[in-house]
Amino acid sequence: MVFFLQMVFAGLSVGAVYALIALGLNLTFWTTRVLNFGQGSVLMIGAMLTAVLIAYGVNLLLAVLIALVAAGLVLVVTEMVAIRPLLKASGSMGWVVSTLGVGVFLQGLASLVFGTQAVAFPDVLFSSSATLQIFGAWVSVQYIAVFVISVVIVGLMELFLRRSTWGYGVRAVAHDRELASLMGIPVRKVVLLSFVVSGVLAGVAGILTSQISGTVDPGFGLHLLILAFVAAVVGGMGSAVGALIAGLGLGVLEKLIAGYYSPAAAQTVAFVLLVVVLAVRPQGLLGKKETVKV
Amino acid sequence: MNPLHMLGKAISSPWLVGGLCVAAAAGASFVDQGTVQMWCFLIVNIMLAQSINVLTGIAGQISLGHAGFLAIGSYASAILLKDYGLPFPLAIAASALISAAVGYVLAIPSGRVREFYLAMMSLAFGLIVYELVREWRGMTGGVMGMRGIPSPGLGTLELFGWRISPEWYFRIMLISLIGLMLMLRNFVKSHFGRAFYAIHVSEIAAGSLGISQGGTKRFAYALSGGIAGLAAGFYAFMVGYITPESFTLMRSVEILVMAVVGGLGSLVGQVLGASLFTYLPQQLQAFSDYQYIVYGLILVFSFTLLPRGLAGLLGTHTRYSKHDQLCGQVPDLDTVLSQRSGGGQALVEVRDVVMNFSGLRALDGVSLTVRRGTVTGLVGPNGSGKSTLVNVISGIYTPTAGGVRFKDEEIAGWPAHRVARAGVTRTFQDPRNVPSFSVRENILMGAHRLYAHGAFAASVNSAAARREEGRFLARTAALMEAAGLSAYADDPVGDLPYGIQRLVEVARALASDPELLLLDEPAAGLSDTEAERLMALVRMARDHGVGVMLIDHHMDFLEELVDEVVAFDAGQEIYRGDMAGMRDDPTVIEAYLGKEETSHA
Repeated sequence: MVFFLQMVFAGLSVGAVYALIALGLNLTFWTTRVLNFGQGSVLMIGAMLTAVLIAYGVNLLLAVLIALVAAGLVLVVTEMVAIRPLLKASGSMGWVVSTLGVGVFLQGLASLVFGTQAVAFPDVLFSSSATLQIFGAWVSVQYIAVFVISVVIVGLMELFLRRSTWGYGVRAVAHDRELASLMGIPVRKVVLLSFVVSGVLAGVAGILTSQISGTVDPGFGLHLLILAFVAAVVGGMGSAVGALIAGLGLGVLEKLIAGYYSPAAAQTVAFVLLVVVLAVRPQGLLGKKETVKV
Repeated sequence: MNPLHMLGKAISSPWLVGGLCVAAAAGASFVDQGTVQMWCFLIVNIMLAQSINVLTGIAGQISLGHAGFLAIGSYASAILLKDYGLPFPLAIAASALISAAVGYVLAIPSGRVREFYLAMMSLAFGLIVYELVREWRGMTGGVMGMRGIPSPGLGTLELFGWRISPEWYFRIMLISLIGLMLMLRNFVKSHFGRAFYAIHVSEIAAGSLGISQGGTKRFAYALSGGIAGLAAGFYAFMVGYITPESFTLMRSVEILVMAVVGGLGSLVGQVLGASLFTYLPQQLQAFSDYQYIVYGLILVFSFTLLPRGLAGLLGTHTRYSKHDQLCGQVPDLDTVLSQRSGGGQALVEVRDVVMNFSGLRALDGVSLTVRRGTVTGLVGPNGSGKSTLVNVISGIYTPTAGGVRFKDEEIAGWPAHRVARAGVTRTFQDPRNVPSFSVRENILMGAHRLYAHGAFAASVNSAAARREEGRFLARTAALMEAAGLSAYADDPVGDLPYGIQRLVEVARALASDPELLLLDEPAAGLSDTEAERLMALVRMARDHGVGVMLIDHHMDFLEELVDEVVAFDAGQEIYRGDMAGMRDDPTVIEAYLGKEETSHA
């Protein structure tokens, strides 16, 4: 029972991070119907820069700030270099390949600069040895912190999208890009903003995940991208609440299967879940059906 | 002529390619074993690049996890031979079948979701296969890999007592590759190739010709998986020792890079791409140090800088019909359209159709009947529901309420491709041709629903396949003649004037030998001569017993053609009868021109 609870708490913690990444994927999907296949490397850049800067003695907050700015910048550059030029030809999926290319490039660059070995990730949030007892199970305080931070950010994002002017802009562009442009909404700025925020969310998620796992390496992030995509799809592409629920559910499922069986089995289950949901209910649990335009 | 294009012509010449193959097959006995091994590697890479090309270059679907197929195929063929004693050609064939089945399963959700979902799934697939082969120690040997696979390099591969030497293994691979490429060439030129390309460029137009999105994508994934499985089978015996590290994401990226740089859509290009990336890493140490960075940059920039790859530079073109192969064999024409009897009988009956779009009622209780051998005109202001009605009948929309009966079947709610296969063909308000196809290929694509021969027959150009393709090519030629398009037969449609594009679309619709023809503003933007030709085509259809529904705003044009006209306003019928009656009908005038001011009288 204690083991079960520990797995559930660990699952909630990583699940919240999946939701965070999924929200980042959703944001650019809303504004451009595109998402970054190299997002895994953005997670890695966020975590890697934080770890390396702190190791060089940079102040913790400053290190995190620099890492997040870098993550946001990466996505802006991705949009300008690998997405916009390729969206001109309609129906082309070249952007899938080119964004993956950005991810592969960043992975190569990180291996070159920081080496291919895993780098130890410092204690940014509390100490890795600090634990709390909940219902008899010892839970790392870091897990709890990661969970709380992720859920709060998802909540704030939801508030931002529903209440702020920029949030209205994002939703208007998501609804109908041309109409939004006619209504005087600065579509270009909204699109860039969505990419910046997507990058920052990925950076935060990278730091939080590395805090739990304790290390970061250049190949880090791809698994997280895929699990976050599963969360986004299962929750319904375009639904932030759906992504949170699906993310948490997926995290718990993954940890339970990994704990009782094996990590590879957990990933296989997540993959099968993705195939089944897409085949049975392609709009996800909370998403709306997309209508065809002729 | 551009010297690069001359080079392109030279290297795709069958004499040169044939000569090279013979030279390599003979030369294999005189070079060292390392070189032969390298040639075998090249063949594996060419097959893998072709596998991506079929999927991405032709069908427009993306796989980011092809190493997954390679892994499944390699382990499957190794296990089948090692543990079950299957002869190696059978093991390789089984490996191709298993990979094809996996590809099919992977693509099950296609047709219902955005394409990039499948791309993400393929990425996940590649990753998970890698994890599984590492974990599944009992079957695969785990991270230590699988040793002792019979291999020609070790002199342990035998077939019914014949010990296969590396040279002979290479020759067998070479023959397989040549067979594969010839079959792929024929396949791409068949109606399957056109269907693959059509769902790539315009899914909606493809559906209107009876091409199923989901079915075609699943087929493309299965075929691509099968080719990768074939490559995998050869690979496993060639190396004799496989580890999970040969099947990482990086391997998938490498295969993708070969295909993209070689030139998506071109069979020759794949050979170039695979050759480049088989030899380059061997020659340049620096290349392997910076592999990730180089591959990443290639993937980012190749689509913008070199969209058609090396093949594009060399000016090679892929053609999507067997016109070139069947030259001189095209038979005399039997008929352009079938003569259908039962003139005047009801062909399609629309009953009380309501169509709502989140609050907007586009059709509000519409009923009408189109009869065989008659032309029904639909008129009405923009937004009155004419095109929506065409979309409902052709299966693009499922009506909110009401029914559509075509012949003896209730077709409301059928997917578009099924409606099209039943004999309903339509054109679109803005022409939806495949821009890079020639006029001939576009029109021939219209006949898709009539083809009976299967994929294998198409790939080996069987007598039945040649006969059928020849018959439809003859029909296409006759349609081009009737529409005045013969002068443009081999020009890409995208480069032609708008009016010509419209006529091509109408001719394409007629190539399907439809029973019901739905034309959505076919005369918009046509010159007088073009409009004359269009009228001749519509009359020809009517005289052959086709029921025609025609949307247009040109009253003179309609006057010439229609038997009955139905006027719409705000989703409701406001007039039905002949043209003369409509011109005088006060409701119609009001709907088009607005109410006259009468109060000041």
